[in-house]
Amino acid sequence: MIVDCLGKRCPLPIIELAKALADKPIGFSLTLLSDDPASAPDLIAWARMTGNAAEAGELNTFQITKLTD
Amino acid sequence: MVSITPNFQSEPRLHEAARIALPHIFEAAWPDSSKLGIDSKSAALLLNEARETFASHLGIRSDEINFLGEPNLGFHLGLSGLISAGKRMVYSNVDRMEVFAIAENQPSEMLSVSKGGQIDFSGLTSSDVVSLQLCNRETGIIQAGRPENVNGLFVDATASGTRIGLPENWSTALWDSTSWAGPSGIGIFALSKKANWKNPLPHLDGRINPGPTSLPLIVASALAIDSWVADEKNLAAKISTINGDIRNYISSNIPDSDIAPGGADHLISASFLYVNAEQLVTALADKGYSVDSGSACSAANMQPSHVLAALGLLTQGNIRLTIHHATTFDDVKAFLEILSQTVTECRGAK
Repeated sequence: MIVDCLGKRCPLPIIELAKALADKPIGFSLTLLSDDPASAPDLIAWARMTGNAAEAGELNTFQITKLTD
Repeated sequence: MVSITPNFQSEPRLHEAARIALPHIFEAAWPDSSKLGIDSKSAALLLNEARETFASHLGIRSDEINFLGEPNLGFHLGLSGLISAGKRMVYSNVDRMEVFAIAENQPSEMLSVSKGGQIDFSGLTSSDVVSLQLCNRETGIIQAGRPENVNGLFVDATASGTRIGLPENWSTALWDSTSWAGPSGIGIFALSKKANWKNPLPHLDGRINPGPTSLPLIVASALAIDSWVADEKNLAAKISTINGDIRNYISSNIPDSDIAPGGADHLISASFLYVNAEQLVTALADKGYSVDSGSACSAANMQPSHVLAALGLLTQGNIRLTIHHATTFDDVKAFLEILSQTVTECRGAK
């Protein structure tokens, strides 16, 4: 699954990510695309705060894994 | 004149002592204090008194003090003046952007702070010129470490004001008059007698900055620092309690919040997940509360706060609160309820 947030400003990428994960099972992974400069620091903080995993990949690409409900 | 709008922005109102005296200061301090006329002599006396006042509150010699009409010029004077061939500039990733700008043109190394905002100064050498921020102006984090045995030490005291003293081995230091509720547009740049410093600005005589800096504003700032320091003795405990109250309230009443580690009692930074900071700050302003923000959407350059990012903290939905001497428990109680309500509204609007 790809959540495309290119061109969207903070906090929209994180809000759309949370919506996309809401009905998914634990262990579900997706790719988030975002070119917002706040996304790199904020995805790390989001993962820490919510207990999920986020990893920066290639340019504007983040691998997200749901680890908690 | 007392404003009824509770202000949690970083800029304080001019201290009452300075505000009342200001018209009289302008009447007395109009002449050029460097000339020989009768009026100039009395202006020179005022300037000397102001120097002595600052020297006693800042813990430096009065002849080490220079006044700046553009406070942030002090970053360039303080750092670039210490750097020469063979030296390396060392700074941290929570330093001010003004420091980053100076590092661009020098051999330099940026140190990364720990999660708690602390810098490890153990790897420094005797050819290093170090930038030391006593207190971070966004989060209030106080730097515990002190660089030892370095070539030069610039101290950024713009956020700490009179709250934290200089380390003994300081070379240059910078304060901003607004940190003691003095007028804006006045900086104090101190140059230690022991510093190996060369003026980085074009100059022909011994002057450090072109000047002239406004004498009335210098005198007003001296009045402010005297009164502010006296107030602080009585009000520091209140501010510390308010800081704890705000932190407790946010962490127990507003879910998905990320509060920066603290230090100085007058500063708090908190971020809220899924919140647009511009919307939050505007909604709070509509309800009568002024706050600052480090989020990208509220910044002129659309970049998130480099300080929050360096600390691994959430940069979206960020607000920064400054607790002033005039802040009351009632202001804070009412504000926190509005804040909680407004964060919920901002989240619901998505």
